[in-house]
Amino acid sequence: QKDHSPSPSSDPKVILLPCKSAPSRERVQLWLHAKRQYECLQREMKRIG
Amino acid sequence: MTTLTRQDLNFGQVVADILCEFLEVAIHLILYVREVYPSGIFQKRKKYNVPVQMSCHPELNQYIQDTLQCVKPLIEKNEAEKVVVVIMDKEHHPVERFVFEISQPPLLSISSETLLSHVEQLLRAVILKISVCDAVLDNNPPGCTFTVLVYTRESATRNMEKVQVIKDFPWIVADEQEVLMQEPRLIPLKTMTSDIVKMQLYVEERAHKGQQNTA
Repeated sequence: QKDHSPSPSSDPKVILLPCKSAPSRERVQLWLHAKRQYECLQREMKRIG
Repeated sequence: MTTLTRQDLNFGQVVADILCEFLEVAIHLILYVREVYPSGIFQKRKKYNVPVQMSCHPELNQYIQDTLQCVKPLIEKNEAEKVVVVIMDKEHHPVERFVFEISQPPLLSISSETLLSHVEQLLRAVILKISVCDAVLDNNPPGCTFTVLVYTRESATRNMEKVQVIKDFPWIVADEQEVLMQEPRLIPLKTMTSDIVKMQLYVEERAHKGQQNTA
């Protein structure tokens, strides 16, 4: 069977990376802080009834 | 023993599903172990019958999923040579690179029905190695972030285009100088060989993490 794949010389190796960045640590830290505050508030509301 | 080609039973898709699921767990665990994000966003889960730490931050989880969804077509066609999780310092210089070198045999020798459980057993061993890798790595400087790189061939990028458009998650060709380290310390973590995939995991670590790479 004939191999139709391009030769390595005409098909150079490339390294790809996403344009978008992952969320920063600070952004995640803020989210975590807000989540904890919300959970604390929920617990407090349950306690009060 | 049955011998199948890669086209039979759409094995490429099966391998891509298995590997992408594994890479998702591995990326979460690397981010936890290397303290890229606060430990509070991670929750203990069980994967491959071992406890792992997975993020519960929706944006981060989506980012990891989108990344792997774009990588999947390349793995499916055996066109991803390496998938690299790069941890970068505040100046965006790499400090650590977790390199997953993937190779898939053209012919698949399926010896028994226990194949998948054997693969799971091998992947579990890789996960366990990642979970203890902090013992052999130096601490990272504060404020690190991460990205994922894929080593492929130019022609293969066409396989990603559709997914990129659907997911609105475009990729670019990286400048090799920016993503590599000069004379990194090489730490082999694990090699696995199964009937459907071979994988080698090693870490490249920058010599002096506190100092900027002069490359």
